[in-house]
Amino acid sequence: MPTGTLTANDAVIRVDSLRKTYGDLVAVDGVSFEVARGEVFGLLGPNGAGKTTTVEVLEGLRTPDSGSVSVLGVDVVKDVDAIKLRIGVSLQTAALYPKLTVTELLDLFRSFYPSGRPTDELIELMDLGEKRATRTKDLSGGQRQRLSVALALVNDPELIFLDEPTTGMDPAARRALWDVIAGLKSDGRSVLLTTHYMEEAEVLCDRIAIMDHGKILESGTIDALVGQHFKERAVRFDAIDSLGDARLTGLEGVTSVQRDDGVVVLYTNDVPATIGGLLAATDELGVEPANLAIRRASLEDVFLDLTGRALRD
Amino acid sequence: MNALLRLTVANIRSFVRDRAALFWTLAFPLIFVVLFGSIFSGGNTDRKIGFADEDGTPASAELKAAFASVSGVVLVDGAKADLLEGMRKGDVSSVIVVPPGYADTVAAKAAPASVTVYTDPSQSAADGSTRQLVGFVLAMVNQEASGQPPAVTPAFETVQTNDVTFISYLVPSILGMSLMQLGIFSAIPLVADREKLILKRLQATPLRRWQLVGSNVLTRLLIAVFQTVIIITVGTAFYDVQISGSWFLIGALVLLGSLAFIALGYVIASFAPTEEAANGMTSVVQFPLMFLSGTFFPIDAMPDALKMVARAMPLTYLGDALRQVMVEGTPFSPLWVCFAVLAAWLVICFGIAARFFRWQ
Repeated sequence: MPTGTLTANDAVIRVDSLRKTYGDLVAVDGVSFEVARGEVFGLLGPNGAGKTTTVEVLEGLRTPDSGSVSVLGVDVVKDVDAIKLRIGVSLQTAALYPKLTVTELLDLFRSFYPSGRPTDELIELMDLGEKRATRTKDLSGGQRQRLSVALALVNDPELIFLDEPTTGMDPAARRALWDVIAGLKSDGRSVLLTTHYMEEAEVLCDRIAIMDHGKILESGTIDALVGQHFKERAVRFDAIDSLGDARLTGLEGVTSVQRDDGVVVLYTNDVPATIGGLLAATDELGVEPANLAIRRASLEDVFLDLTGRALRD
Repeated sequence: MNALLRLTVANIRSFVRDRAALFWTLAFPLIFVVLFGSIFSGGNTDRKIGFADEDGTPASAELKAAFASVSGVVLVDGAKADLLEGMRKGDVSSVIVVPPGYADTVAAKAAPASVTVYTDPSQSAADGSTRQLVGFVLAMVNQEASGQPPAVTPAFETVQTNDVTFISYLVPSILGMSLMQLGIFSAIPLVADREKLILKRLQATPLRRWQLVGSNVLTRLLIAVFQTVIIITVGTAFYDVQISGSWFLIGALVLLGSLAFIALGYVIASFAPTEEAANGMTSVVQFPLMFLSGTFFPIDAMPDALKMVARAMPLTYLGDALRQVMVEGTPFSPLWVCFAVLAAWLVICFGIAARFFRWQ
């Protein structure tokens, strides 16, 4: 097998012990993961977790301090130019020439590559038809984001990096972009995306990695991650001042207690006993638990458990 | 190559769609040409001078006839107060007042007769030429009064030729200044693109840096050529500027000068963290370049220390070479020093910028 080619089962991204510092700040601290061909892989984490730095090393925009990074079977540090033809990139901030129109910008980027997709097809795909003659500075946030994704597809890439692609989009536009990403996957392309949105990861990603403080805390399929962390179910309600953690932990069936932003989540392996105990306790205090709900643990819970904070924008 | 040309087209589109940039690079030099052109090529239009004869004698009429005999001068009669008001409104450029008793004083010959001349020093050209005119006329009158024939006949034609020559010198100076401004501001779009992360996005494509810089430089050179054509066309079409030198040398100077200033612009941008800083720093650099290059003030009149600075300025050499080629038709051989200095600036600035320009 000649170097640089891959079989269908090979990894399109292989990161091993990647490390990147800026002065004293360790942005990425020994990260390792792989993305298989045809997979949509999600990097999740709060702001400053090191997601963007990781992605930018993979895109050849930053040089790692140490570790090995191969993209499409090519060492990024050694031969970044060979990769650029075959990847598509949408940066976290859509960087567009403000005075060019949608069509002009797509045509311009298309001219950087020897082959690619026709501009009209991309405009159609990203639903920018009505805006084709609009200058990019006059586009809305969501439209800019869609144009940024369209620009990532001009060279018909095998692997696409999307850094926070749906930020600033309304729910309808977000769902439309999810369809586009699902379409890329069904074409056999691979996608690495970073996101703030749990739902987005749950809908799109075959596998995810949760990052915080420059490290990957966990990775795997969402079901596996949830199952691994929570055999329990979650009982949530609005926090009550007089009801402390000591009392809650003592309730029957409760394995752990999480608090975030005025909401208490009890993880329990015996829902009826926990609810019974909770209601008895609140009765005693003369209050009622507001917005009481029972659900299965989700990715959100895994995230909260791992990082101690909720993931939202 | 295709990418470089496409990017150049995109740059030109962005430039043309930026009305402020368009104004500053194209209209501003034109305003200079028109402004100075109108002031200094006034020889073709008659100059109106107010004449208040408060004496009303044959002697004062004779003086008036002497002024009226000068070609290009139109005397406007009136009372002193009205004429001064007219001067404020711009109807006349200056006012000559012959006071009562003028004839008696001339006849008495005891003391020189006085004629009051009102000029506006803020209108320096009109001011100067009126003083000159009055000087000539009074000299004539004095000589006639002394009974001797005028020793020298004033050649008013020369005065007019001088005016035309001045604008001829001015056009290459303004051209040099415009090329300088265009050049040193040339890296600012790149700094802006860096700030907007466009450069980062481009870095993720196969586009090469030489293509990026090449298209930016090509864009600027095209604008420089356009600017040159406009300035020279307006100068020759409206102000009788004669271009005597070789077009090839003019073109070579325009390109080499632009490249040197573009390189200088990249040096400034190399040390500017933001677009705003780059704008500010470039403006600061632009003023000494403009005022210490003999464009507006002659270098010979400067103190020695400033002369040294002026002799190092690239615009001094670009302006000088342009003036010599365009006005005097000087060939390349005596101008090689100018070419060499501009080339040296280009090479040194390119080296510094290549070393220090930050892409991220």
